[in-house]
Amino acid sequence: MIEAKGVSLRYKDGTLALHNVNLEIKPGELVYITGPSGSGKTSLLKLFMGVEYPTSGALKVLGQAMFRREAMKIRKLRRKIGPVFQDFRLIEGRTAMENVMMGMRFLGIPSRQIKQNAISALARVGLEHKAYSRVENLSWGEAQRVSIARAVARKPALILADEPTGNLDHANALNILDLLTSFKDKNTTVIITTHATHLIEDQKNATFVRVNKGNISIERRCESNEELLI
Amino acid sequence: MKSFLSNLGYFLKEAGRIVRMNLLSNIFSFLGTGLVMFILGMIISGWWIGSQMIEMLQEEAEISAYFSENSDRDEVQRLVEKIKAIDGVWQVRLVEEEEAYSRMEDVLGEEAHILELFDDNPFEAFIEVRIHLDKMEEILEKVSALDGIEHVRDNKGVLQRLQSITNALKALGLLAIAAVGITTLVIVSHMIRQGIYNNREQISTLKLLGAPGSFIGFPYILVGLMLTLGGGILAVALISFVISRGYDMVSVSLPFIPLPSGKVLVTDLTRLLLAISAFLGIAGSLFGLSSTRDAEGSV
Repeated sequence: MIEAKGVSLRYKDGTLALHNVNLEIKPGELVYITGPSGSGKTSLLKLFMGVEYPTSGALKVLGQAMFRREAMKIRKLRRKIGPVFQDFRLIEGRTAMENVMMGMRFLGIPSRQIKQNAISALARVGLEHKAYSRVENLSWGEAQRVSIARAVARKPALILADEPTGNLDHANALNILDLLTSFKDKNTTVIITTHATHLIEDQKNATFVRVNKGNISIERRCESNEELLI
Repeated sequence: MKSFLSNLGYFLKEAGRIVRMNLLSNIFSFLGTGLVMFILGMIISGWWIGSQMIEMLQEEAEISAYFSENSDRDEVQRLVEKIKAIDGVWQVRLVEEEEAYSRMEDVLGEEAHILELFDDNPFEAFIEVRIHLDKMEEILEKVSALDGIEHVRDNKGVLQRLQSITNALKALGLLAIAAVGITTLVIVSHMIRQGIYNNREQISTLKLLGAPGSFIGFPYILVGLMLTLGGGILAVALISFVISRGYDMVSVSLPFIPLPSGKVLVTDLTRLLLAISAFLGIAGSLFGLSSTRDAEGSV
């Protein structure tokens, strides 16, 4: 699914965002990427999305080598990814339904199917009653759910959620995490970045990637809550 | 293709939305393109009319040979036979004074009453010689040299003047096509760049979702097409009106000018202008799209 070998990322201004990252994520895993603000969590997600490219090392996402020269193939790869952006990136002036449908229009899915997928995705996030509301009229939490619906309606192999719990109170943050983790199955990997570690401390059956100053450590927890540090 | 067709409604809706986002600028661009196309259309129609007039006049290339008033019918008949034998002549006939008078009456139309001012028929009989234009010089020389021929009149000067006007119009037409092309490309590409800038966040999101450049860019190509085709249609409407009025005026005041069919002219101009509009719309959009490649929100 994701394979990183000695991956480093240095930005143009010289900042070393990630250093010698070695990581393997298998299909169907639930992965939490944690760490304080500015630790490199979002940089790691940017590498998985092909927004940034490793300055050294080798990274493969869904079998695709992530190099700048593969930009066209990486754009195609993104069609298999369901991104949930920190700032949602919903398109204003459109309804929730239009936003969710827009993410599927170029995937070769028949029009009727696109609409059905959008309706069921909005229902899954509890927003079917807001399907025809303009996104700028939705609350923060509702907009986030639309963003999740847009990501999952595409039936992606990989869901990447960047700080989905930011700006949410404890209860709503837990709801969003429960919602996101519910999309994990044997074919769908879910990767969530968060700095709110208290929300996931009891989480079982998941992989925890801790990022600190560009270095990572990995912990895998199985059903029995047994910890395995790598 | 299937995906393209199923998204056609979306593309049209998006194009409409992009136009509405910057409505005033788009209206002025549409009007500007229309007027530029109108100027182009007028120059092209002048060029076409001139060329067709020359063609028509060339088909009717003829000289009039005037003989001595003292010549009797036999002498005139002999002259006719001699002229017929000249290489490049394909028809010779004697036009009597009465026929010459009647022809002038036809040419003058409603103004023919002016001829009543003459006591006698002012026109002389002459020999009308239809020729191949490329042999005009030689034929003129040979006919003028015949005994009994007093003078020869030809329409070479008229043809040459028309030819030079048409050549000037042709050069002007080519310049106009270049000017219209560049102006329209600049207008359209500017509007597309502005549309892309206004929608940079949406474009960036679509790219992150994996949308191909063709999916993101097609609504902008439609906007370019809408602007130039709209301008082309406006130009065609204006040109149809001007040509129809112009033909009405010429046919009344200058009935002897052989104009090509107005209907055919407008139909051909419509086809040409719409084809040029469509081409410039697509080219301008592609230019606008490609020029933003490295900018934020590029497609």
